[in-house]
Amino acid sequence: MPQTISPAREPQASAGYAAATFTNGYEFTQGSGYTLPEYPFTEPPELATGQHARHPVVIVGGGITGLTLACALAQLGVAAVLLDEDNTVGVKGASSRGICYTQKSLEIFHRLGVYERIAAKGIQWSVGRTFAGEDEVYSFDLRQQSAYNLSSQPPFINIQQFYIEGFLVERIYELGHVDLRWQSRVSAFEQDAGGAVLTVETPAGSYRLEADHVVDATGSHSPFRRWCKASVTAKKGDDRWCIADVRFTKRPPTERHTWIEAPFNDNRAVWQHLMGDEVWRIDYQMAPDADPAYVSREDVVRERLARQFGPDAGVEIVWVGPYAYRSECIDQMRHGRVFFMGDSAKVVSPFGARGGNTGIADADNLAWKLAAVLRGQAAPALLDSYHQERHEAAQQNVLVTNRTARFLRPADGVERLFRQAAIGLAKQHPFARQFVNTGRMAVANPYTRSRTCGSTGGLSVQNVSFEWADGSPGVVNDLLQWAGGHLLLLVFGDPGATAMRRLRALAGGAPVRCVQVLGADDRAAAREHVRDRHGHLRGACHVFRHAWALVRPDSYVAATGEDIDASLVRAIEKSLGADQEAA
Amino acid sequence: MNTTLHFQDADLFYEQLLDAHQGLSKEQSDLLNARLILLLANQVGDAQVLRACIEAAKDIPK
Repeated sequence: MPQTISPAREPQASAGYAAATFTNGYEFTQGSGYTLPEYPFTEPPELATGQHARHPVVIVGGGITGLTLACALAQLGVAAVLLDEDNTVGVKGASSRGICYTQKSLEIFHRLGVYERIAAKGIQWSVGRTFAGEDEVYSFDLRQQSAYNLSSQPPFINIQQFYIEGFLVERIYELGHVDLRWQSRVSAFEQDAGGAVLTVETPAGSYRLEADHVVDATGSHSPFRRWCKASVTAKKGDDRWCIADVRFTKRPPTERHTWIEAPFNDNRAVWQHLMGDEVWRIDYQMAPDADPAYVSREDVVRERLARQFGPDAGVEIVWVGPYAYRSECIDQMRHGRVFFMGDSAKVVSPFGARGGNTGIADADNLAWKLAAVLRGQAAPALLDSYHQERHEAAQQNVLVTNRTARFLRPADGVERLFRQAAIGLAKQHPFARQFVNTGRMAVANPYTRSRTCGSTGGLSVQNVSFEWADGSPGVVNDLLQWAGGHLLLLVFGDPGATAMRRLRALAGGAPVRCVQVLGADDRAAAREHVRDRHGHLRGACHVFRHAWALVRPDSYVAATGEDIDASLVRAIEKSLGADQEAA
Repeated sequence: MNTTLHFQDADLFYEQLLDAHQGLSKEQSDLLNARLILLLANQVGDAQVLRACIEAAKDIPK
């Protein structure tokens, strides 16, 4: 992967193929940019030999969401085609987008085999300070907080999005199964009961691609919304921001600084945080309805940076991007054969890192379901749970992000008055810091409306550690890997001889792998067992005492219960959509 | 939400509230009220009670 900063390249002009335009709303960009890897265009079989195969899964869009899905499918051994209109990761000239990846995302990347590279390249910080005017409102040190410390992944890592995308591309090439088709732009789409057909434009000409399932991961300007006549609930604001990614010769401390009212930015908000390659992201809130072309002009950006860091900070501009924050949420995340995910499904302001991280979770949610249905191990109805679960998450993320946006851009009058009151109190009283909403970090959203989850299910399982039968250390992701895309049934404690017999019979007939989880003093009754000496695995599965937990390949609990009986059999059927077949 | 009398001394509170606003401009007064609402809301804490209080405050017949 590139680690140097070099001038941006001229867009390549190739006959018969329009160079990719900026598709993520970053229409105005300046700065020296990053050097990005380029991937080769290979003539697809449809054009090379005229062969027209029917593909079980076609993913459109090679951003972080599409690539996560592609990698997850590759890991599960599912054949798929991914179409990307560009020949690189990132968007040309605008390659710096998401920067903050949460624990759940890092756990997913750990399962996909790219976590170590992300950890090595990315930055972790623990001290955050929030300012209003000249005063510090409060500060925190994440090392003092314990909610996240049981996972083998940290609470989050800051890293440029394109690095993760590049790692995923290389991992997909390593795993096989997924055909990455670069410089392939979808220009038309239709679907009916018989199948879906995409028209694909390439440098070697256009062709028709047939698919059973299509995943739209094209981002916020998705053409599929139009093609599927998908309705969208949207809210437009007047808040405008301008991002500057910079390097310093005199670097600031490795702390995240947040100004709600920055004196050096006309008392508007400023974010300052570090990511990979010693590059700092500085987000400036602009005047409402500010002109994006003006605020991102190099001399204007330099003047703004000088006001914050002084005239001699030695600032090198890597990238500049202005944007208008907005929120959009598609009303149905599945339209026939098409599944909408990532920014295609919902767009939020970046507060709390609820954009990219939820795209990653969308992908991880659908991957195992597609695999299970394509293998014939789950009912097609399982695919409907994608909308039930991820639409609930999308709505929650829109709600939470809009609350932050409202705190940071209050309407004149009473909204601004309450913000002033909250900031004033927060300087003296700890309770009022909770009102100071500079973003609520993305979480692994719970699923309460899923027809495939039990009443105690729908919760994420952290990647905690335990001991294998031989005493060596393991983590939840190792167990999921071992289960190989099947459901994982964890039985805590010793359920007794009768229950063990039932379990053996069950494991023989259903796509489920069973493991007995022993406490510190329990004796093994099953051949497959692990030891949970400190109760971390039990806690991660949200169960107490003798119990079972049915864990899905996306590391969510589908259901939990106490007795090994018909209720467990029903929970397994439900979690695979099999109970909905008669309906 | 408790709508029966809960004050130890309602007259005293009312007097203190008015005194606190003495000599303040409209802007300062508004800000004092906003801070007071946030402080008092934290004493209540309970989400259902707070929602009921907001509804009751909106719902005064003219």
